[in-house]
This record gives sequence, C-alpha cells and structure tokens, in this order.
Amino acid sequence: MDRIGIVLVGAGFIADAHSGAIDADPRATLIGIVDADPGRAAAFARKQGGIRHAPDLDTALQWPGVDAVILCTPNDTHAPIGLAVAAAGKHLLVEKPLATTVADARRLARAFDAADTVLVAAHTHRFYDYGRAVKQTIESGSIGRPRLVRLAILGGWIWPDWSAWVGDPDRSGGHALHNGVHLLDLATWWLGQEPTEIFARGRKQTAAELRIYDYLEMVVTYADGATAVCEMSRAHRPGSLAQRELLVAGSEGIVEQGWDGESSLVFGEAGTATLPAAGGNGFAAQLGAWLDAIGGAPPLMPVADAVRAVVLGVAVEESIVTGKPVAVTA
Amino acid sequence: MTITVALVGNGGIGTQDHQNSMYRPAFERHPGFQVVGSVDEAEVLSIALPLAERGKAVADAIRAGKHVLADKPLAATLAEALEIERLAAEHRVVVVPAHHQRFGAALRSATAAVRAGRVGLPWNVQCDFVVAGGDPAPTGELVNFGLYPVDVVRALLGLEVRRVHATGSPDLVTLLLDHDHGVTSTIVCGRVPALRDLPPGGLAVHRYRISGSHGVLAVDARKPALQVRTTNTNGPVWTGPGTVDALLDVVAAGVASGRAAIGPHDAVQAQRVIEAAQRSIEAGQPVETGE
Ligand SMILES: NC(=O)c1ccc[n+]([C@@H]2O[C@H](COP(=O)([O-])OP(=O)(O)OC[C@H]3O[C@@H](n4cnc5c(N)ncnc54)[C@H](O)[C@@H]3O)[C@@H](O)[C@H]2O)c1
Repeated sequence: MDRIGIVLVGAGFIADAHSGAIDADPRATLIGIVDADPGRAAAFARKQGGIRHAPDLDTALQWPGVDAVILCTPNDTHAPIGLAVAAAGKHLLVEKPLATTVADARRLARAFDAADTVLVAAHTHRFYDYGRAVKQTIESGSIGRPRLVRLAILGGWIWPDWSAWVGDPDRSGGHALHNGVHLLDLATWWLGQEPTEIFARGRKQTAAELRIYDYLEMVVTYADGATAVCEMSRAHRPGSLAQRELLVAGSEGIVEQGWDGESSLVFGEAGTATLPAAGGNGFAAQLGAWLDAIGGAPPLMPVADAVRAVVLGVAVEESIVTGKPVAVTA
Repeated sequence: MTITVALVGNGGIGTQDHQNSMYRPAFERHPGFQVVGSVDEAEVLSIALPLAERGKAVADAIRAGKHVLADKPLAATLAEALEIERLAAEHRVVVVPAHHQRFGAALRSATAAVRAGRVGLPWNVQCDFVVAGGDPAPTGELVNFGLYPVDVVRALLGLEVRRVHATGSPDLVTLLLDHDHGVTSTIVCGRVPALRDLPPGGLAVHRYRISGSHGVLAVDARKPALQVRTTNTNGPVWTGPGTVDALLDVVAAGVASGRAAIGPHDAVQAQRVIEAAQRSIEAGQPVETGE
C-alpha cells in the first residue's frame, strides 16, 4: 500500500509532536510544511531533511501525493483552512478545538461528511496511556456504573507575553475552547453519557487584565445523573507545577490516580519537581487511529464528539459570564 | 483535676451510635475526663441523641448550666442551631459540635500553614470527602457528613461561604462554594460502596488542595499513617492521636478557659451551607447562604 502523504500546516509549538508521529509510522509520509511565516516554514522543512514548504495551503494542495492534512494553526483558523481541505477532498487531522464556534464546528462536520473524507480532531488525551487505561477500566465493568469523574490538569503560566494568540479570546475561543475541551471530551468519553448541563467558574489569576480565564472549573451533569468536575489551570504557582489528578467513583468501586500516580519526584537544589514517566506516545497513537479511519475503520474520535466538545466549551464560557448553569444539547 | 462527663443518648441518624463507637471510648482513654453515671454529677454532657431530639436536649443542657459535646450535626435545622448559639452565650457554657475532622493532624498543620502565608493568598480549595461502605444515611449523606468538609474548608480559609451551587445526588454531592474575596472552593462528598481493605464507613478519599497566589498545599487527611501490608490485609494504620481525641482536648481546654476552639457558631455556619445546598439542588441554581 502507498504511504498516505501528509501536509502539515502550522510550524509552531505542537508541529514537532505531529511530525515525530509521522516519522514513526510506516503508513505515512510527510510531504511538506505550510506556514504563513515563510521563514518558519523553510526552517521546519530543513529540519525535516528538506521537505517541500510553502506559505499557503493552496500551493501545497497542488503538490503530488498529498492525501491528507494535519492542521496546527491558531484555533480561529481551523474553520476556514479546514473547509478548504474538505473542498480539496483531503482527509484532516485538526488540532483541538475543532472550531471556536458551534456553527463553524457543524459546518466542518457537514463539509467532511459531504466530501466523504475523514475528519478527526486532536483530542490527544484519549490516546494518552492514562486516558486509555481509565476508559478500559470503566469498560471492564469493574467499578460498576460511573457516577463521578474528578479530573484536574494543573500548571503554571506557559504563554509568552501579551501578544500570544491564546490570550486573545477572538483567536483562541477562550481557555474553555483552547484547553478546557481536552477535559470536557475526556470525562464525557469515560462516562459514555450525554451531557445535559454545565456550571463553570473561571478566574483571571495571573493578571487581572487577562482576557481569558487561566483557571477553569467546569462541572458537567449527564443524562443519567453522573457528574464530572474538571479543572484546567495555567494559573498555579510555582510556574513549574505540572500536576494531573483523577478520581472516578462508580457504583462498585473507584479509580484514582493522584498527582504522584505517574511521576517520580526530583528533590533538587532548585526545589522539588515531578519527573513524568516516559510511557507511550499519545500523538503516535492518535495518528495511527486517524490512519486506521482513513483505511475504513470506525474513528476513535468521532466528529460528533469533537462538535460536542465545542458545544461544551462554549457553554462553559457562557456559564462563567452568567454565573448560572447552562443547559446543553449536542 | 479531671472533668466529669455523662453520656446522654446512643442514637443519631439511621443506625448510628457514635456515643458508643466514638465518644465513650475517647472519653474513657482521655486523662482529663472521668465518665460518671448521672447527669446531675456531670460538668459536661456528651449528647448523641437521634437528630430529631438532639437540638432540644442540647438546649436543655445549656439551660441547666452544663457544657456540651454534641454529636454532629448539632441540630436538625438552622433555627435550632441559632437558638443553641444564643443560649450558650447567655449561659456562658462551652458547646462543642463534633466537627472533629478539622482537628486531624494533617489538617491542623495545613490550617496553620495557610494562616502563616505559606501558599500566599489562597484563592481556591478542592476537597474530596468520600466514605466507603457502612450504613447509608436515610437523610442522604449531605445532611449526614456534608458538614465535615464544609467545616474543614471554613477552618482552612477562615472565610465564610456566601453562595452555594450543589449538584449530583444527596449520597454523592458536589458543592461549589463562593467565599469572601472571590475565593472559591469545591467539595465532593458522599458514600461509595464498600471497598476492600477499608473498614465499613472508613474514608476512601479525604484530601484537600489549597491553591494560593504563591504556592499549592496538597493535604491527604488520611495521614499521618503507616501502610501495613500482610498476607491477608493491606491498609493504613493511623499514627498519633485520633481526631476525636483531639476534639476532646478542645472540650477540656474550653471547659478550663471558658472558650473552646470550636463552638455553636461553627455549627450554625455549616448548617447554613448544608441548607443552602439543599435549596440549590431543588432549584437547580446557585443560592445565597443568606446571612
Ligand atoms: N493536542 C494538544 O495537546 C495541543 C497542544 C498544544 C497546542 N495544540 C493546538 O495546536 C494548534 C497550534 O498551537 P501551537 O501552540 O503549536 O501554536 P503556535 O503559535 O506555536 O504555532 C502556530 C503556527 O501557525 C502559523 N500560522 C498562523 N496562522 C496561519 C495560517 N493562517 N496559515 C498557516 N500558518 C499559520 C504560525 O506562523 C505559527 O508558526 C492550536 O490549535 C492549539 O490549540 C494542541
């Protein structure tokens, strides 16, 4: 079988994780890189051994052997670039969130449905070792019917300065869309239930002038009465903090992974830090699942779930503003 | 000088008998107390009557000039708790509600650390208080032990609760609390089925994370403990004085000084939160605690 030829769009922070996954998968090959900044595109191409590069997608779609696109540009560009990929009849792995509005998310879903190509949003936590292990534990039935999920992903400030697009809610959709969707999707996937309501609180902890909430607390209620409490933080001190905690309580047992459940501890002269275990490569697993879906397998991250994550993220932002619960229907 | 104590009642919510399972043994091993047979001879009454009778018995004890250790919750309603608070002040007696969890060794030092600014200005607390096995409370666990974590969070922060949003079910509830100064806290509280190697009614998860402007404090309130593993068992063994022993220290110090480290006002404030949570569950909306 021919390798699936991929173009990467956006040579930024997360691009290396995707190119690394492609390099490791014999079913795929990286044809070229697109970045609006020609210098970044050229540098990335050089680093990849001299692959093609271009400042725009239209040029890249003309390159021979292109079957699919991985899109890692700022969130507000996902819809227009994604629609162009659909129109060209290529498959798409789009970074999360699928889009920054529900209307755009649905538009993308319809476009790929009509083109009969595979659209997958990169909800990478479904492919991390812990995400899969919790899902398998729940599916094994050993904790009975899950009633509560507690999931916290906590860190300190990572975005460079006031010019960072993530800090601009028009570009990122706000933090609920930017990172909140990871947890909203994961908890919902674990529970296997439809969400009915969101109640959320947000803080601008690092600076009062922030336009996004760097700490989010998102509480989801599900059709069967289950609850998910999700915390997403870039607000914690010290800035080096990197902690994940989870608890799932079911009708017959509980699953727990505390902040020390995966990492070792380094007691160093500069303080104490966690040392995450090496483990599997979530981006490689994610790429593999997308390639499987292109080959005809059912997608592990269905489009409807990606749309639902956007619905939930938008509801989180609304609930924070109103201080009230928000009813959701995906 | 030992303090005389009489044990009044051996009921509670549902099948509870905290008098014989918790307070009696703690009084008997405490060097500062002597258990006596008659109420008249006692300076302190340890009251663990069924919840419906409790508030009235506590009020009567106060009017008789007795100090009181009262099983939790102190009273069935906020109105009753407020009346007890008023009476205790009027009769100058010490009334200690059995909010003993805040006196756990890890939580006492955590409270002191927060007060000393070790994490800077606290802005959020997360708590899980999950009991495994034992008899489910017919009232729901919110009324049964919801006040424990609420009381601990109040003690940790030293801030009252102004607004409550509650969701979930009365046996596994999530409380989202808004305190003064924009500080928030979240408490997951309830009962899960019996778990292997945990005594029925034991705490499966009991932890607090206090996030502040300058640091994070992670407290596992099931510690200090040894982890003991044998061919047949695997479980924690608590080290040092228990939370009920520490509570009796508070009663003894209160009787000696006329002022206890915890009093009916703490029960009133916890009851406000629990009743607000009940209203919130009914309304499906956040509600004010209304002070
Ligand atoms: N799955 C994950 O765990 C994860 C982690 C981080 C980021 N992300 C997502 O990845 C995406 C990219 O994030 P990042 O941190 O790499 O951003 P980044 O700012 O580091 O990189 C974005 C790149 O896109 C380029 N670009 C901007 N607009 C463009 C356009 N219209 N056409 C072509 N190139 C354009 C920029 O020049 C830049 O090089 C975002 O959607 C983000 O949400 C996902």
